[in-house]
Amino acid sequence: MRTAQAAALRRAGTRFLYVLLVLFAFGQLFPLLWVALYSLQKSGALFGPDLLAWPHQPQWVNYANAFTNGRILRYGWNSLVVVVTSTIASTVLSFCMAYAIARMQWGLKAVALTAISMGMVIPIHTTLLPNFFWFRLFGLLDTRLGVIIPYIAFTLSFNTLIFIGQFHNLPTSLEEAALIDGASWPRILWSVVRPLATPAIITVSVMTFLTNWNEFIMANTFLATDDLRTLPFSIIKFQGEYSADYAAQFACMVMVALPPVLLYLFFAKWIMAGATAGAIKG
Amino acid sequence: MKGPFHNKPVVAALVLPGVALLVFAMLVPLLFSIYFSLTNWSGFGPFRNVGLANYKEILLQDTTFWRSLWNAVLLMVVTIFIQNPLAFALAALLSHINERFSAVLRTVYFVPAVLSFVIIARLWVSIFNPTFGIFNKLLAAVGLKWLAVSWLSNPSTAIWAVLWIITWQGFGWALLFYYAGLMTVPKEIEEAARMDGASWLQTYTRVIIPYLFPVISAVIVIDVISSMKQMELILLTTEGGPGHLTQFIGVYLYQKAFVADQYGYGNALSVIFVLVSVGLTLLVQRFLRTTSEAA
Repeated sequence: MRTAQAAALRRAGTRFLYVLLVLFAFGQLFPLLWVALYSLQKSGALFGPDLLAWPHQPQWVNYANAFTNGRILRYGWNSLVVVVTSTIASTVLSFCMAYAIARMQWGLKAVALTAISMGMVIPIHTTLLPNFFWFRLFGLLDTRLGVIIPYIAFTLSFNTLIFIGQFHNLPTSLEEAALIDGASWPRILWSVVRPLATPAIITVSVMTFLTNWNEFIMANTFLATDDLRTLPFSIIKFQGEYSADYAAQFACMVMVALPPVLLYLFFAKWIMAGATAGAIKG
Repeated sequence: MKGPFHNKPVVAALVLPGVALLVFAMLVPLLFSIYFSLTNWSGFGPFRNVGLANYKEILLQDTTFWRSLWNAVLLMVVTIFIQNPLAFALAALLSHINERFSAVLRTVYFVPAVLSFVIIARLWVSIFNPTFGIFNKLLAAVGLKWLAVSWLSNPSTAIWAVLWIITWQGFGWALLFYYAGLMTVPKEIEEAARMDGASWLQTYTRVIIPYLFPVISAVIVIDVISSMKQMELILLTTEGGPGHLTQFIGVYLYQKAFVADQYGYGNALSVIFVLVSVGLTLLVQRFLRTTSEAA
């Protein structure tokens, strides 16, 4: 009798916990839902008394306006160029640095590792002012390269640490065998190590892509020409010129949010793996 | 006898490109920052060396600087003592329920963390908007209309609204770290504690939390660093206002250099920012290490 009661109580408790967890999930998603719903209403609907209103006549014109006025195509293309370039470069360079630190034997290894770890502590914002001066000396200000370089530099430290973690989990025997067979170093890295490190490569490239895709402050500081600006500026456009068009602003936010959310849903497993490796080992 | 992994030219080829980039984009700029921090340069035109005058002014007279440090400390307290325990509790719940359901929820909780600061900022500026924002509408709906204010521009609420936005977005990260940590706890030690008659609460406080101390420490260090580094969300919501009440050092140095045309002064703030960030990280790491050794 008592055990039956206890079981019932436990079931009720479990159900309560489930409700709690779902409510919390709702809390995380509610703001996004609000924006998504009103992106399909007329701007004026936002000023009505309703908390949420289903768009019975979806105003797709908001998306058309957001697309044109937010310069989604132009900024999106710029983002793609800058982000893909910096992601590939950062992945390759951190792969190489990590290999040298995890596997090779050399004197300054500990120093290099400390310096790289320090790179994670230094805030991006402290380089904004000096780089504004320093990059100008090389004509890098207001060019794509001027953001690509810091985008690589600021993701290198984290990526290198992720790769080091991965390399420590791989056996050295395959590389040794390949060396005895007379394979060159580039060949060993490409044909032997790279396939084994695929999980870390995916994690690193997806996380670098997301970080740089969302980056705003360096782009805002170093890029003055409108034609060079990246996707976050689509939303900024609706703060100025088109600030009264709230519905289009919301539509713009949905469009800009969509690529990273989709990428995340697709690669969630790898992002989780990388983030936790960074936290627990770092 | 040198092994095959003892090859200096290969090491150089692997390490130098990355190091060169770090030197170019991080180290040299820091040196320039130190140089300009000793000048009164406005950003254009002539300037002269003023020694440590900027530093003296920041540390002795600049109340906005101290306010921005204070805000960072406030954010650390909120994340470490409110957000983290909540995230830990939720992660613990998620580790006990049906795995598929748990995976879906974990995905949902993390969505805000993958969005750009620009989206998060515009989102909450709209939510807190006094005329059409849903926050005040919600208050009115539950009969608390008298509480409704312009949250991000009211001097007594602005900092809390900003802290809320930052902790809301960071919640997914904290949860993810703790969930991953909980997954590493061996089932045996939990079962052994239960066999000894420990309640689930005791199992957590006496066995699991001590076991996860390294993970908790790592998350706390991350919280400290990221609290110092907050910048974009503030710049895009309150710009540090009203009256510098929500100022953070990253925003402040930016405004000094590019809005107030005090480039030298901004660089001095920048140098102090680096020193405080690095120093605080080392200090917290040491503190946590000695605490774990004492325990």
